[in-house]
Amino acid sequence: MILLAEGLSKSFPGVRALDGVTLQLAAGSVHALLGENGAGKSTLVKILTGVYRPDAGRVVLDGDDVHFGSPLEALHAGIGVVHQERNLVPEFSIAENIALQHLPNRLGMVDRARMRAEARRCLGLLDLDLDPDTRVAELSVAQAQLVEIAKALSVDTRVLLLDEPTASLTGDEADRLYAIVRKLTATGHAVVLVSHKLEEVFAVADTVTVLRDGRSVAQAQPLSGYTRDEIVDLMVGRAYASVELTARTVDRDATPALELAGLDTRHGHRDVSLTVARGEILGLYGLVGAGRTELAKALLGLDAITGGEVRVHGTPVRIRDVGEALRRHRIGYVPEDRKGEGLFLEQPITRNVGVTVWRRLARFGLIPDKAERDVVAEYTELLGIRAASPNQLAGQLSGGNQQKVSLAKWLAASCDILIVDEPTVGIDVRTKAAFHELIARLAGQGMAILLISSDLPEIVTLADRIAVMGDAQVRGELVNDHDYDAVSQRVIRLIHAAPAPV
Amino acid sequence: MKQEDTTTPEQPRPPARLPLWANPRIGLVVLLIALIALFTTLRPAFLNTQLTLVPMQADISVYAVVGLSQLAVLSLGHMNMAVGRMAAMSAFASGLLHDRLDAPLILALAGGLAMGALLGALAGLIISRTGVNSFVVTLALDFALIGLVSLLYASFTDGVAFNGLPAGMSALRTDTFADYCAGDVCGPEIPLLAPIALVAVLVVGLLFRWSRTGREVLMAGSNAKAAELSGIPVRLRTIQAHALSGLLAGLAGFLLSANNGAFSAGVGDGFLLPSFLAPVLGGTLLVGGAVSVLGTVLGTAITQVIYKGLNLLQFQVDELKLYIGLVLLAALSLDRLRHVLAERRGVPA
Repeated sequence: MILLAEGLSKSFPGVRALDGVTLQLAAGSVHALLGENGAGKSTLVKILTGVYRPDAGRVVLDGDDVHFGSPLEALHAGIGVVHQERNLVPEFSIAENIALQHLPNRLGMVDRARMRAEARRCLGLLDLDLDPDTRVAELSVAQAQLVEIAKALSVDTRVLLLDEPTASLTGDEADRLYAIVRKLTATGHAVVLVSHKLEEVFAVADTVTVLRDGRSVAQAQPLSGYTRDEIVDLMVGRAYASVELTARTVDRDATPALELAGLDTRHGHRDVSLTVARGEILGLYGLVGAGRTELAKALLGLDAITGGEVRVHGTPVRIRDVGEALRRHRIGYVPEDRKGEGLFLEQPITRNVGVTVWRRLARFGLIPDKAERDVVAEYTELLGIRAASPNQLAGQLSGGNQQKVSLAKWLAASCDILIVDEPTVGIDVRTKAAFHELIARLAGQGMAILLISSDLPEIVTLADRIAVMGDAQVRGELVNDHDYDAVSQRVIRLIHAAPAPV
Repeated sequence: MKQEDTTTPEQPRPPARLPLWANPRIGLVVLLIALIALFTTLRPAFLNTQLTLVPMQADISVYAVVGLSQLAVLSLGHMNMAVGRMAAMSAFASGLLHDRLDAPLILALAGGLAMGALLGALAGLIISRTGVNSFVVTLALDFALIGLVSLLYASFTDGVAFNGLPAGMSALRTDTFADYCAGDVCGPEIPLLAPIALVAVLVVGLLFRWSRTGREVLMAGSNAKAAELSGIPVRLRTIQAHALSGLLAGLAGFLLSANNGAFSAGVGDGFLLPSFLAPVLGGTLLVGGAVSVLGTVLGTAITQVIYKGLNLLQFQVDELKLYIGLVLLAALSLDRLRHVLAERRGVPA
């Protein structure tokens, strides 16, 4: 046992991310860490790499209790990590990137010769034939990924955590990467693999831990004891305790409110076709990076559409910006990044909600205070936004109330097509349920809603139909019969299906 | 798998308030009165109408407009480093219109304002198209205009100024309302420049408080990305804010020319520092999203009172600059402090 994490718990305000999770890792093995979005994988990885401190539990490395105060301490203790996002500095050379956390120095200057030698050693571990002086910006995505691994191995690393290492790699590149992983375990390294691609997991991993809702439902079991379906069952779990939602009837024969027909975008979407009827909620599910947010933004004119057609209430449209989407087509967009894109944190609630209705309220270019106050009061009440006063700054509200403010401005502007992007990320369970109820009610009133979410239970709870997106393509679509087990298994299979040939 | 949020318990907080000393407006009024009292005690001549009060009011009028010019882009979180040269170009346009076309006062003024607005819009256009920082763009523009202003004056005048002013413009300099009497009732000792500046103050105040355009500029200054995603035409608002800045710089150039008695190349040379000093003293944030027009007027008044007071106490020009610089540093520190405080208590700064 090289690494033992025992009874780890970690809470965030309103969310219990990990609840007594145990992870055992043997030297020379590949251990798969599986679970849905939100199951607690990332939190666990972040605890093991010193980003978070656990509320309870201990981490034992080589028989010693360890407490990491920072990612650097974890690295020096021998736990290397390759994150999903790139963490290389493109303008630096490979050698500089590898040495970044521990630059060898001589008399206060960087010892470049030693830095290069060290880089060559790390690249050699991976059989990589690259010049250490090459700038990272010139590397292919796959090469950069391997350099990340080399970087993680640069200290005397014994445990290597790989978080979705093949997310941006082709099949061949992924195979090569896993061959290297195999080689590493042969030399005594232990590898933790976090991946959504079950084929890869079955091909490379020896043992598995499955997390669900912050608990381990399978603990360090040999992977050979499971079939794929059993793993999916473990990940998805029993039916999601759903709230009672407004029943809706959707007239699918009528002209759809919003229709994407064979849409191609500059971002790389190919032949995306979706329809949302009046009063319908279309759930758009996919893993992070599947291109759903980008699709929404292209729809709003923020990214170029290169082919296909968008139709609103049957009429082909060309939307150039959000203002036009709102005024001409009454489309609203509640962004995923609440703080960065959805709100004006330093402005009061009044301005945050009023911003979309100023045009309507203005008389001779001036906005009457009272008219604005009335509109804002109406929607803060409707959505149950709890604040000391309408003049309270948006930045001071709780996550749930912030999200309501972010939504309120579109309701105030009387949108009838609403795109909601990850509406309940970071929101506690109770508020989340209230939000679900609200979205269902809006659809019940005839609004067409495109719900982008990586939260499968949320999608199954709310959506009438579910479209699954992967690699900027629609992988498939299904009618949601709200049988959680059956639907989620079909969705997960679509996600893990090989991409359709182009 | 994101726990990005601080989901605080759902309890409304009690309304928070900043302490009185951190309210920029009240603090400034107290400071202003204290300074006037101080200087009057040291030099009773400080309250002499002809010697101090009238010229000081004229200066406050000019520099309040200079401050508003900067405020117009601070609202976006931008800067206009070319306020001085935009003023100079405006003054040149006014002078040329009068000199060559014999334009009357009102047309010369209109031409000057148009020139300023045009230059500002140009800066705004470049900034919104290229995404280059406003500081860099306006600094480069300022540099180019320094050259252009000298070249233009060299080719269109005998030297660095136009001879003569439009009819009525010298009255703006020399007269106060006390010179105009209806029977026995004469106006107060307020220079004729003051109401022009007052109109500018009121219009800019109205714009940022009640107009959709002004508010949308502030929202863009608060969070450009969110503004775009809320349907605000951010590029257009950027251009408009810079055009307003240029227009006000032009107005300031006109007022200073009236005050100086000539359209000259040197107009606007001393505008840059006061343009920041007044809004920042008055509580306008450098990061954008909030402006205070009244504060800018108070900030200008304080700066000019200090200037005149130290002048009467026979401080040298270099010493004056030293003290004004120190006041700016203190104001900026206070600005930061207020921001931190406001953040902690959750109230608008």
